[in-house]
Amino acid sequence: MELTITGVNTITYPYLHIWDWRVAVYLFLGGLTGGLMCMSAIANLRPGKVVARDQPCCWRIPLLAPIILSVGMFFLFLDLEVKKNMFWFYLTFKPLSPMSWGSWLLVLIYPPMILYAFAAVPDDFKAGMKPGLLKTWSDRMRPHLLLLARINFVLGILLAIYTGILLSTFVARPLWNSSILPVLFLVSGMSTGTALMIMMAKRDEVKLFFTKVDIWLIFSEIVVLLLLFYGHYTSDAAHRASIMPFFNASHQFFPYFLSIVALGIFLPLAIVLKFLEVKGEHSQHLGASGRFLMHASAVLVLIGGFIIRFALVYAGQLSKFSGLS
Amino acid sequence: MPRYAMVIDQSRCVACMACVVACKRENDVPPEHYRTRVLEMVEGRFPKLKSEFRSELCNHCSNAPCVTVCPTGASHKEEDGTVQIDRNKCVGCKACLAACPYDARYINEEHGFADKCSFCQHRLKAGKMPACVATCVGGSRMFGDLNDPDSLVSQLLRENPYRVLLEAAGTKPNVFYINQYPRKS
Repeated sequence: MELTITGVNTITYPYLHIWDWRVAVYLFLGGLTGGLMCMSAIANLRPGKVVARDQPCCWRIPLLAPIILSVGMFFLFLDLEVKKNMFWFYLTFKPLSPMSWGSWLLVLIYPPMILYAFAAVPDDFKAGMKPGLLKTWSDRMRPHLLLLARINFVLGILLAIYTGILLSTFVARPLWNSSILPVLFLVSGMSTGTALMIMMAKRDEVKLFFTKVDIWLIFSEIVVLLLLFYGHYTSDAAHRASIMPFFNASHQFFPYFLSIVALGIFLPLAIVLKFLEVKGEHSQHLGASGRFLMHASAVLVLIGGFIIRFALVYAGQLSKFSGLS
Repeated sequence: MPRYAMVIDQSRCVACMACVVACKRENDVPPEHYRTRVLEMVEGRFPKLKSEFRSELCNHCSNAPCVTVCPTGASHKEEDGTVQIDRNKCVGCKACLAACPYDARYINEEHGFADKCSFCQHRLKAGKMPACVATCVGGSRMFGDLNDPDSLVSQLLRENPYRVLLEAAGTKPNVFYINQYPRKS
């Protein structure tokens, strides 16, 4: 008879639960902002300017991006336990701390985002604006639109990938401790950003263009997600144990199991819907059902991105370097 | 400059938990949290079973991941080798809790800052031993300066095979364990 008992004093034994939905929402909104920055930059930089004529993609998205990021940062602020000491983030720079990099990035990213939003205001909208600071800045930034779009594209990638780097550096949490995780968060952020672009765009050809982009992004997301799990499964015992909650339908781990089932349905379904849209006859305007399918698949992608952040944030805290216990 | 370390002789631990109580009292640790704990483990094939009592606390690692990830420098290494927390700089982001493979940290919910074993720094400054060491009835916990070759901890580590917890994590702990299983008399 093999007897292995870990007689732990349950009162004194620690149980890690430090980051909750607020951090998951912040990671989701951070990735979404990164995706919006990149995709709106593509809208403005794309040769032919077909996309740039779509006003929501052209300037409402650049305007929306800093607002979404601010909401995300508000949730992050809520998670801080000593809010009055927050100024220490900006009196220190720790080159080896991802959170230090992130806190500086989150502040330095705002000026290019806001200037980009100014530069992207269309002429016909500006014509209705009263002369003032906003109009002056918009006129000043307009000649730099393409440069600002390029800067936003790079910063969008940095923002989306940073949210994954933040988690992946914790050697103590095997589920997060993978160089694949930042790539997953990057692709997921781009995909959710594209989904919101599809929902906000008015012109059918713009919706179709980003639908095609999103098909590739969702494919990539699924591949990277599978690689993350496969990498952990073939790694050491602690990494293998860290993914087990996703494949265990017991009461304790059911939410994680459910999240994988949901992702397994939502993401492929979104691809199928998008293929139907792209393959359809669109010489005329998209019908109501076509638009509904487009928005439905975009919502599926957004929910998928949300589930990925939630599941990974919570399940990562169950994992231990020494394995589950 | 000293380099403080703790050596835990597991064969002398009786799991009386006096260290846990002394620590909580000395450092005003909130009721729901602990800076040190004693694990009781039994393993093997019946009737050949082995039991182990293992005291765990912050390992004051030489390569401390909590110090690396701290964005404000609140978690820092002191010159004496201990890892300490500057409570006035801590924002309560909890990155250090996630980074510690020993789960040695907690958030002081009353004040918000991260907290952990400090090797009773205030007692060290007064020339005293940490509270858990001073109270240990079996003499299981021993504390001293690794840079002093004549210190008790230096002698013990010279004379005994020792191990550290989760060595593969690469944290280079300064809490060492000797005599994992009690010797047969």
